[in-house]
Amino acid sequence: MQGPDVTWYLVVSALLFSIGTLGVLLRRSPLIVLLSLEIMLNSANLALISFSRLHGDHDGQIFALAVMAVAASEVVVGLGLIVAVARRKLILDVDRFRVLRG
Amino acid sequence: MTQGAWICLLAPLAGAWTITVMGDTISRRTAAWISTLSVFVAFGGALATFVGLLRRSEEERAALTTAWTWLSTGNFEVGLTLLVDPLAATMMLIVSGVGGLIVLYSVGYMDGDDEERRYFAYMSFFVFSMLLLVQAGNFLILLVGWGLVGLASYLLIGFWHERREAVAAAKKAFIMNAFGDATMALAFFVLIWQTGTLEFAGAFEGAELMSSTALNLVALGLLGGAVAKSAQIPLHTWLPDAMEGPTPVSALIHAATMVTAGVYLIVRAHPLFELAPSIQDLAAGLGAITLLVAGLVALVQTDIKRVIAYSTMSQIGYMFLGVGLGAYGSGMFHLMTHAFFKALLFMAAGLVIHHLAGEQDIRRMGGVRRVMPRTYLAFLVGSLALVGIPPLSGFFSKDSILAAALASGGYGAILFVAGLLGALLTGIYTFRLFFVVFLGEPSPLVKQHAQGHDSGHGSGEGPWTMTVPVAVLTLLAIIGGWVQIAGVWHPFGDRLEVVAESLVEPSVVQDYVASAFAVGLGLLGMGIAWAFYAARRRRELPRAAAARNVLEHKLYFDELYDALFYRPAVWIAGIWRRWIEEPLIGGSITGLSLGARRAGGALGEAQSGYLRSYALAIATAVAVLVVVFVAVQ
Amino acid sequence: MTTALIFLPLAGALLVWLLPLPGRASGVLATLIALAEVALFAVAVGRFDFGESLQLVDRQSWFSDLGVSYHVGFFGFSLWLAGLTVVVCAAAIGYATWANRERARAYHGLLLFLTGSIVGVFAAQDLLVFYVFFEAMLIPLYVLIGVWGGERRAFATVKFVVYTMAGSLLMLASIIVFGLSQGTFDLVDSGVSSNDWVFLGFLAAFAVKAPLFPFHGWLVDAYRESPSEVAAILSGVVSKAAVYGLFRIAIAKFPEPVQDFQVPILVAATIGLVYGSLLAFRARDVRSVTAYSSMAQMGLIVMGLFSLNELGINGAILQSVAHGLVSASLFLLAGMLETRTGTSAFARLGGLARGRPDLATVLLVVGIIALAVPGSVSFAGEFLILAGIYAEGWGWAAIGAGAIVLAAMYMLRLISAVLHRSRGEAVRDEALDLRPAELAVVLPLLAALLFLSASPNSITERNFPIQRADVAEAAE
Repeated sequence: MQGPDVTWYLVVSALLFSIGTLGVLLRRSPLIVLLSLEIMLNSANLALISFSRLHGDHDGQIFALAVMAVAASEVVVGLGLIVAVARRKLILDVDRFRVLRG
Repeated sequence: MTQGAWICLLAPLAGAWTITVMGDTISRRTAAWISTLSVFVAFGGALATFVGLLRRSEEERAALTTAWTWLSTGNFEVGLTLLVDPLAATMMLIVSGVGGLIVLYSVGYMDGDDEERRYFAYMSFFVFSMLLLVQAGNFLILLVGWGLVGLASYLLIGFWHERREAVAAAKKAFIMNAFGDATMALAFFVLIWQTGTLEFAGAFEGAELMSSTALNLVALGLLGGAVAKSAQIPLHTWLPDAMEGPTPVSALIHAATMVTAGVYLIVRAHPLFELAPSIQDLAAGLGAITLLVAGLVALVQTDIKRVIAYSTMSQIGYMFLGVGLGAYGSGMFHLMTHAFFKALLFMAAGLVIHHLAGEQDIRRMGGVRRVMPRTYLAFLVGSLALVGIPPLSGFFSKDSILAAALASGGYGAILFVAGLLGALLTGIYTFRLFFVVFLGEPSPLVKQHAQGHDSGHGSGEGPWTMTVPVAVLTLLAIIGGWVQIAGVWHPFGDRLEVVAESLVEPSVVQDYVASAFAVGLGLLGMGIAWAFYAARRRRELPRAAAARNVLEHKLYFDELYDALFYRPAVWIAGIWRRWIEEPLIGGSITGLSLGARRAGGALGEAQSGYLRSYALAIATAVAVLVVVFVAVQ
Repeated sequence: MTTALIFLPLAGALLVWLLPLPGRASGVLATLIALAEVALFAVAVGRFDFGESLQLVDRQSWFSDLGVSYHVGFFGFSLWLAGLTVVVCAAAIGYATWANRERARAYHGLLLFLTGSIVGVFAAQDLLVFYVFFEAMLIPLYVLIGVWGGERRAFATVKFVVYTMAGSLLMLASIIVFGLSQGTFDLVDSGVSSNDWVFLGFLAAFAVKAPLFPFHGWLVDAYRESPSEVAAILSGVVSKAAVYGLFRIAIAKFPEPVQDFQVPILVAATIGLVYGSLLAFRARDVRSVTAYSSMAQMGLIVMGLFSLNELGINGAILQSVAHGLVSASLFLLAGMLETRTGTSAFARLGGLARGRPDLATVLLVVGIIALAVPGSVSFAGEFLILAGIYAEGWGWAAIGAGAIVLAAMYMLRLISAVLHRSRGEAVRDEALDLRPAELAVVLPLLAALLFLSASPNSITERNFPIQRADVAEAAE
């Protein structure tokens, strides 16, 4: 096999995961949060495929497909929520959605 | 013989029970006669017992009879036991005999009162309780009788319970007596743990092995009870107030019988007292103090019954003096003669009060002799007996006590002097009362009632139910002392020697010396009273405002006890309620709920609603878990 | 036999709840069931051999792998406590019938259910069974006070429940630890433990139930706000469950911790005695006086138990029965007073004796037995307890004796405030004397008291068999 070592793929995956986490934690626009979530999911996908290459079987790749399916469904729901919020002319800021507090 | 004892005990109880259960279905008169009959039946039983005892030889003169076991746990057992011996028989005769006469008297005195049935039920109940006390075969049953007479006293003092003063007096009497009950109970606990039994014989035997501290405690506890019941200083303040009860009650309970129970107790428990001589000396000392103080206070009383009440307190002081020195026979002898002449005095006073429609203030009386000549005679006999003029009963009994004091060494000599002073005071206050009430010109009040009463009372001074007992007691007051003439014949003392051997035997000389002084001082007292209250030209009473004030306030004992016990109790209760109870009741739960709410609130801060903080929490938690997971591997 | 005694009232409760009878009729049915229970109890006494220890035993396995079984039976002393229960509950149910409570079916059913649970507590010989019945007592009480109580019933009920549950949960923890460590939850089969904490868990529950100072915060409000017959059962019977628990479990199973904690417990009991007596002395209405007096008497009973000798323990059992009857009578009388005058406050009462001889006599007799006049059964109990505690130190006995005087003070105050002096503003001419129905309820209690006063030995010589059982031995 050519290309870099599996380790480097994992590094990239870790980087992507961190970027995604920071995005979820620090950004205030729900759209960007969803985007960051996607990045996190994709980083997980990358890690899965890397391990699949490492072990030489296909389990990781199949799991990655499942993850993609879940990601897609979740995006649909999330975007639907955002569109609904936008339709009501509410400001798209995560910190403003506090109704369910203790 | 023992059947006689049971009949004597149970007849009055049956009487009381019948009256209670029958309630309104019997007339008031019937109730009165049931009660009177029950007490006379008791007297019959007492007589049978007495005769039965006479017939037995000296060694067999004590018989125990038990109905059933009252209380038992493990080794400790107490039976419902009666003891029949000369001491008990003497008391039985006095209680049921004088009691019967007084209940008969009540039939006339209480006639017309709405609640007669209740009265007679209580009177029968009292006689039963007193008999239980004197016939008790062990200390616990004695305590039961002791407490029940206190109860009967409460019920009868507070008989006219719509009067606030009567209710208060009844409570005071009961509570002071309860204090005595408590000290006696403590003495009994010591006895139980040291000797294992409360039977008289067993306790006395076991007591010989007890330490002197324990013995002193036991004797002190018994003395506490005796002092409370017999209204000796310092537990005497209830007796004058007890005069709120009807006059027959004062005669029976607070003169002839209940208040003498303390003397009986000391004689009955004399082995214990003899093993704790300092306590026995204390008893004699308290008796001496009481006889002086009571005599002094009696000098300024204006209520006819209260004078006689303080006189009772004083005479019981003599009895305590006697038994405190070990002259048991003399003490009991005076108990008997005192029952006669004191009951007589109360009943005669009752005749006067009854005639004057309830008036008891001697300042409004005077010249009653003109209106009630026979009562005058009866009262005169009673007074002379009280002062101790021969050949009346009081002379023989009081002087035997004084002689015993004279024969008892140094301490006895002091007590002898006290006794003599007491004789002087007795002369003064008794005849002060007599002269003020009976002699001189009839006061306006007396004239108002001079015509005698309407229906039902026969002629003049009262119905036969009242005059006959007075007459009988007058006779007894005269001849009652003739059963024990010092140096000549003494059957009374001899019979009691078997039960309680006297510790002192005065010589004939001492007897005569004591008598001479006592009679002399008594006459002197009468003379002083004459000078101030009856002579043509009466002398002015000395002002002595301060002394008079102190005496009129009965030496401020009431105020002292109020400050020492009642007020602090109220104060402590108030403090505890405010500072402990209210916070505890209210606070505990509201505190709990507030606490719960605050804790919930604090925790609730974590639910901020911010999506990002939740996300951070999740991220942190995962990171921590991963680290832990890896580290544990 | 024992199972029948426990489940007859429970079945009766079900019957009363289900049968659609009108108010008074369901009350009558409930009273009949309660009387049948008393008769059944009499039969049980007849069958009981007082020379032997545990009898009338029923045993069924329940959770065999844990060692839990349905094990019930009676000792001599617990038989008397059960007797107290059935008699007092019968009187209470009778009174409730006469008083015509609202929603009678529910009310009477709950009272019967309460009866059965309490008998169950006294009969329990397995810890889990004991716990079940102990908690089962709480349910009907919660409803009875909370629904049919006075103005501040919500507050009183919540407090009562919270206090009791707190104690019970601690007890549950102790039960579990004890049972698992012993390998069985059975009281007869298991041995003793020397674990202080487990002991304290049990003590907590009983200290709240008795109540022992300072866990009595629930007492006054609960007694004041309950309907009078419920208060009668509460103070007369339910508090004795603590006595049974303390003796059968705490003392019997934890001999070392009992020795260690004896003095603090005696101190608390003594404080309760004096505190309760003084507060009773200044209380302002019949119910409060009776409530504080109850607290004082329970302090005295606990003193008797923890004297750890024969005199004290027998005295405690005797006094439990005596106080149960007295307290129940007083609360029933308080109820009768309240029906007539609308209040039990002293300031508004007085002068009730005139024209009402039955009421005066009954209240007077109960009152003087309550203050332990010598000769009464309560005196016998008190005497034994104090004689027993004397062995542990004369100071305890002296304080106890002082409490005698205090008892005289507060009871006489109660009697005078109600019966004597001039008529209070709440008393009208029309206030009647005791009706036959009321007499029928209270006279049996009085008769029992008088009988026991004539012969307290009927109980004291039948508490423990002549040859000692494991219970009495463990207490030595």
